[in-house]
Amino acid sequence: MAQKLTKTWSLGYIIEHWTRVIAIAVLTFTGFYIHWPFIAGGLECLLMSWMRFLHFVAAYVLILGLVVRVYMAFRSTFDADWKDFGIIRNIKNIPDSLGYHLFIKGSHKDYRKYDPLQALIYLCVAAVIVVAAFTGGALYQGNIFGFIQAPDSFLWVTALLGGESATRLVHILSMWFFIVFVLIHVYMSIMTTMVNKDKTLTSILTGYKLKKFSK
Amino acid sequence: MANKDEVSKQFLDALEFRGIKRRDFLKYCGATAILLGFSESFAPKIAAAIENATKRQPVVWLNFASDSGCTEAFIKATYPSPAQVILDILSVDYNETIMAAAGKQAEEILVKSRQEGGYILIVEGGIPTKKGHGMIGNKEMLEVFKENAGPAIAILAIGSCATTGGVPAAKPNPSQIIGTAEALKRLGISKPLVNLDLCPVNPEYLVGVVVNFLLLGKIPDLDHFGRPKMFYGQTIHDNCERRAHFDAGRFVEVFGSKEESLNYCLYKMGCKGPMTWSACPKIQYNDRTSWCVKAGGPCIGCAEPGWTDKFAGFYERLPGVKIPGMDGVEAGADKIGAIAAAATAAGIALHAVATGVSGRIKDKDGGEK
Repeated sequence: MAQKLTKTWSLGYIIEHWTRVIAIAVLTFTGFYIHWPFIAGGLECLLMSWMRFLHFVAAYVLILGLVVRVYMAFRSTFDADWKDFGIIRNIKNIPDSLGYHLFIKGSHKDYRKYDPLQALIYLCVAAVIVVAAFTGGALYQGNIFGFIQAPDSFLWVTALLGGESATRLVHILSMWFFIVFVLIHVYMSIMTTMVNKDKTLTSILTGYKLKKFSK
Repeated sequence: MANKDEVSKQFLDALEFRGIKRRDFLKYCGATAILLGFSESFAPKIAAAIENATKRQPVVWLNFASDSGCTEAFIKATYPSPAQVILDILSVDYNETIMAAAGKQAEEILVKSRQEGGYILIVEGGIPTKKGHGMIGNKEMLEVFKENAGPAIAILAIGSCATTGGVPAAKPNPSQIIGTAEALKRLGISKPLVNLDLCPVNPEYLVGVVVNFLLLGKIPDLDHFGRPKMFYGQTIHDNCERRAHFDAGRFVEVFGSKEESLNYCLYKMGCKGPMTWSACPKIQYNDRTSWCVKAGGPCIGCAEPGWTDKFAGFYERLPGVKIPGMDGVEAGADKIGAIAAAATAAGIALHAVATGVSGRIKDKDGGEK
């Protein structure tokens, strides 16, 4: 079996990934601060104002990042991967993948780019970004992107969830989803690298993965 | 009265007798005009509208399950404000808590009002739907409400008891108390309804809506909870006098501290201002003397429907969320998150150990075949 470095991620995907990493990191940190201001500020620095400002900027980055990612999934010249996210096919493949990860089976099928669990969880990430964006919009006071009036345009979100208190809870739980996701995501990439020895971990920086192929 | 748009001397004398100077009354009318979005020149029109309204029975005030706090809010002032006196003049004929008449005489007033019809019905208090849990004159409160809601032209639910049940409807709600909107829905009555949430209601809001109705003959623009946008259009947080401290990141950490004496923001003391929609900071209570946050108390969010259950844990930043299916178990959102994160970390550790034991890592060719 020969191994060869194969380009897995184009520069676009790499930038997209790290932009989202920064956005989620900033959102989580500032989100914690807005929820419970753990650093005392003063009039000289307007700490809360800056935290909120960063939170809103990072929120724009996260939302626009998702838009860009969806566009890339369909129109990327390097690898338009929207077919990898087929929900039904991925659900059908769960027993195979889960069996491998829970040590019931010794191997799993060859998946093109994403493991079925991975593809489904990425879809969840997209959904949670949407949830966070809509609940965030319902809590925001201003014009989103300069023309969507908040919170007026998102009153239905508040009504659906049963008041602003509940909206805040959903918003904060979406952050906890990201925290849990990042934990698993980083662990899985390290573990995959160690087991498969295919440079998965560094591929998101270099763009290259080791691929096996039989001659 | 020669001019319809001018208030008569007689009426002003009557006000003076109750301790309201002519000047104060007209000033109040001017303030109300601006509150309602008219120019100040509307003040005489407002004064006249109020006077005209006193010539008949314009308002019927019903008390249901509540602590009568809304009535108290009007009558417990050292010096009555114009708002209080105006309401007193408008509704004194039938207000169970404070009227002089009792028994049959009292009921007769109500019967007469009903026959004439065309009044504004003010509802104070929630309506018990469990049999025998609230009766007036041997009649269920829901029945009393039904009788009086029929001939009314508009209904004002004042205070959170009347809008959504408020304190008496807090869990476990033994009397199965419902708000006015819910009662109207159950009885199948369709009437213009204005919800004036707050506990107790701000007299200025009530007079504002009543005067608006007397002048224009219609109820003001309402938000999605049926509250007038002019009073519930912005959060308390937006207009709070302590907002600068919030933006600067200066917070009260504990009551009785230096930070508290410096009037720092009460966000960390569980202030619900950011999620509560009301004009409290602008209009204030007791003839614009003070309000909760000014007095040093964190907002408990009494302008929001269902606040008694939703915001319980009044000194907590985000009160606990009930986990469905786990009766009685309450956990804050952060607790849920922390538990989920800890469980994830434990799962990861377990999986890492298992991977090590399985020998997948040692396999030089890579685990996946």
